[in-house]
Amino acid sequence: MGSAHALRHQFGVSSIPSFGRVPLPVDSTNFDDKTDGDVAFSIGSSNRQPAELQTRDRHWPCREARFAPAHTNCIATLEELSACTVHEINQPVAALMTNAQAALRFLAGQNPNLDEVRRALTRVLQLGNRIVEIVDHTRALVHRVAPRKDDFEINEAIQETISLNQEALVKNDVSVHTRFAQGLPLVRADRVQVQQVILNLITNAVEAMSGVCQGTRELCVSTGRTNSDDFLVAVQDSGPGLDTQSLDRVFDAFYSTKPRGLGIGLSICRSIIEAHKGRLWASRTEPHGATFQFTLPQVSLQ
Amino acid sequence: MSDAKQEPTVLIVDDDPDIREALQCLLRSVGLESRTMASLPKFMKSELPSGPTCLVLDVRLPGRSGLDFQRELSAANINVPIIFMTGHGDVPMSVQAMKAGALEFLIKPFRDQDLLDAIHLGLARDRARLEREWELDALRERYDSLTAREREVMEHVVRGRMNKQIAGDIGISEMTVKIHRGNMTRKMQAPSVADLARMADRLSAAGLPGQTQNN
Repeated sequence: MGSAHALRHQFGVSSIPSFGRVPLPVDSTNFDDKTDGDVAFSIGSSNRQPAELQTRDRHWPCREARFAPAHTNCIATLEELSACTVHEINQPVAALMTNAQAALRFLAGQNPNLDEVRRALTRVLQLGNRIVEIVDHTRALVHRVAPRKDDFEINEAIQETISLNQEALVKNDVSVHTRFAQGLPLVRADRVQVQQVILNLITNAVEAMSGVCQGTRELCVSTGRTNSDDFLVAVQDSGPGLDTQSLDRVFDAFYSTKPRGLGIGLSICRSIIEAHKGRLWASRTEPHGATFQFTLPQVSLQ
Repeated sequence: MSDAKQEPTVLIVDDDPDIREALQCLLRSVGLESRTMASLPKFMKSELPSGPTCLVLDVRLPGRSGLDFQRELSAANINVPIIFMTGHGDVPMSVQAMKAGALEFLIKPFRDQDLLDAIHLGLARDRARLEREWELDALRERYDSLTAREREVMEHVVRGRMNKQIAGDIGISEMTVKIHRGNMTRKMQAPSVADLARMADRLSAAGLPGQTQNN
């Protein structure tokens, strides 16, 4: 019972005061109690209409500070969800650290107050568990979204995503190449979610290359088919690439190679692709750079 | 009555019970007394401690923002030093807070030492403020104990008038002026005319009756 309320509380959506809180507007966030007690989290419009009647995109909140103005009425990144999660995590992290610091101080004196230390450490554990819960919830949210089933051209969806971010690409001096396979059938998937993943991969690539002074900054987005006829999308950059350790961990929540990265984006991307029964993985590109690829299964259209 | 010599108290206002508990624990670890409150209305209803006090306030409490609250407090002439905490503050917000007189602006999670340093500074300032208030209260009490004639004499004395001149000014004998003057300096506990003048200045600056320039 009340799981929707719990989540609402968990993510502070309805309780977020306007004073500079995370800009995830209530009206763009729906919590639907399903009959089986499961909770669905969806980002988009509350009254879902066929895609041709409505652009879900305009309901997306945007972080103007980081993205080009052209982007504001279109797709947003996973940052909204990430920022929301990060805010929720920040409080228990702050409390956890303060308890740990207090415990150290209680230990430091001539006569350490072990009772206080024990109580503080108990709270540290509880807070750690709370943080784990929040992370689990975030993953669960993405997993539990019943993806919309749009039939769309993957090349067109990618091209649209690139166009919308043209300004950021130009600003960062990144030249974009596309290698689209022709004659691909329509993909059946949640168009907006797939575009979020693509946007996230492109944004990551641009950020990875922004630190590179020498050489050209090239982004190549390609589409194709796998041996089993699934759709394959690859985003390849000419950035510094990923070391072996990072390759293993980039999809872990809260692992980031960026100095100010939140480490949530790729974790959610993978959740989205897996919810579509596809795969998302990273590899090194020789001589330098990284490639992120995902597959989407081909579903026979009736 | 407020008393600078009493134990200091830190007031913590945050809507997150975990933060309140953690901060209280941290303050306990350095032997500081603290009281926690979940909201600004609860803070407003509670009585301020009589000893030196420092307020640690979450900027984005539900209801009103901490910064608005800061303005209200200073409008109400409550001058407790305030340390702000925020989940994710930005530069304009912190500048605004500091301009409005905040002692420190900390972004959670923060280093315990940064908070403790700010708290100690805040408590020291509040202690000094209380001492000044206490002195002023005592001074006022002494002034209140003067008779109307003694106040009149005091007013002339601090202007540098001699007994003879004062006698002429207010139309009494020099002998009587001397008696009033003696009583007045004893009651005011002023060792010299210079001390008395300083006291008159402080009373006047505090807007207290008597030593007004236009009266």
